[in-house]
Amino acid sequence: MENKNLHKTENHKEHHISSYKDHFSTLLALLLLTVVTVVVSVFGADLRSLSVATALLIATVKVVVVAYYFMHLKYDMKLYTWLVVLVAVLFVAFTALTSIEYFNR
Amino acid sequence: MEHASGFVLPNSGHNRDAEASKMGMWLFLFTELLLFGGLFIVYMVYRMINHEAFLLSSFELDVTMGTINTVVLLVSSMTIAMSITAIQKGNIKLSVNLLYATLAAAIIFMVIKYFEWSSKIHHGLFPGMDYYESLPKGEGLFFYLYFFMTGLHALHIIIGAVIIGVVIYRTKKGLVTSEKYTLTENAGLYWHLVDLIWIYLFPLFYLIH
Repeated sequence: MENKNLHKTENHKEHHISSYKDHFSTLLALLLLTVVTVVVSVFGADLRSLSVATALLIATVKVVVVAYYFMHLKYDMKLYTWLVVLVAVLFVAFTALTSIEYFNR
Repeated sequence: MEHASGFVLPNSGHNRDAEASKMGMWLFLFTELLLFGGLFIVYMVYRMINHEAFLLSSFELDVTMGTINTVVLLVSSMTIAMSITAIQKGNIKLSVNLLYATLAAAIIFMVIKYFEWSSKIHHGLFPGMDYYESLPKGEGLFFYLYFFMTGLHALHIIIGAVIIGVVIYRTKKGLVTSEKYTLTENAGLYWHLVDLIWIYLFPLFYLIH
């Protein structure tokens, strides 16, 4: 187990405890991103292809924020992060291949 | 675990490995991600084939209700994350109250979802209804996927609410403490996953015009 900064020996005592303030800041960031995505969609409806890419990009940023802070990936063993990356790469690869297959017909 | 020979495994019945529990939870979450991932690919392909129909149908959904539900879920993600902070600091009462807040958010989400679905069903858009059957194929597919994917997500909200109820019960009974809070953490992970899926469902169905 990685244990660079924490020296306590009891297993369950070495967990990082996120502060209430940090959680609140994370929420504010997520709400801000939600406002941005709704505004882009409602007022940018004529920029169709742009708004698809933008909406998915913002959603992905939100998901990363939730996973990194709320789901504690920032403070957990790096193995969890790598597993999440692995699943994400698998999904993106399959999605991309499916699109390429479709558009090359 | 008593055996006939009298042999007792070391630490029998007292093994507790918080890290292993968390890893188990994450592995389960990956199967959930791939379950919804498959559905997102189905959505993507049908959308490519029926681009205009999906565009037209997406205007039928209520962006305001979808946005409110997004905010409700984001706030509930914060309250359950704070509940873990509270239990870690030994503040049982605050932890339970924050879990109640999360539970309330789950109920608000379902009530809003109920009104949304009712209005769609009132318009005959549920698969199998007369109006639905009369729609062009592409629009039908949009509403089919809308009901299937938001329905499966709503099922996860209900399961999450039940799990949060169990955490409240066990915390109140003193079975969850500042030393032993894996249950709260894993419930939190599950609840965040439900939030993550909604973060993609919301723009894909309501916003992408």
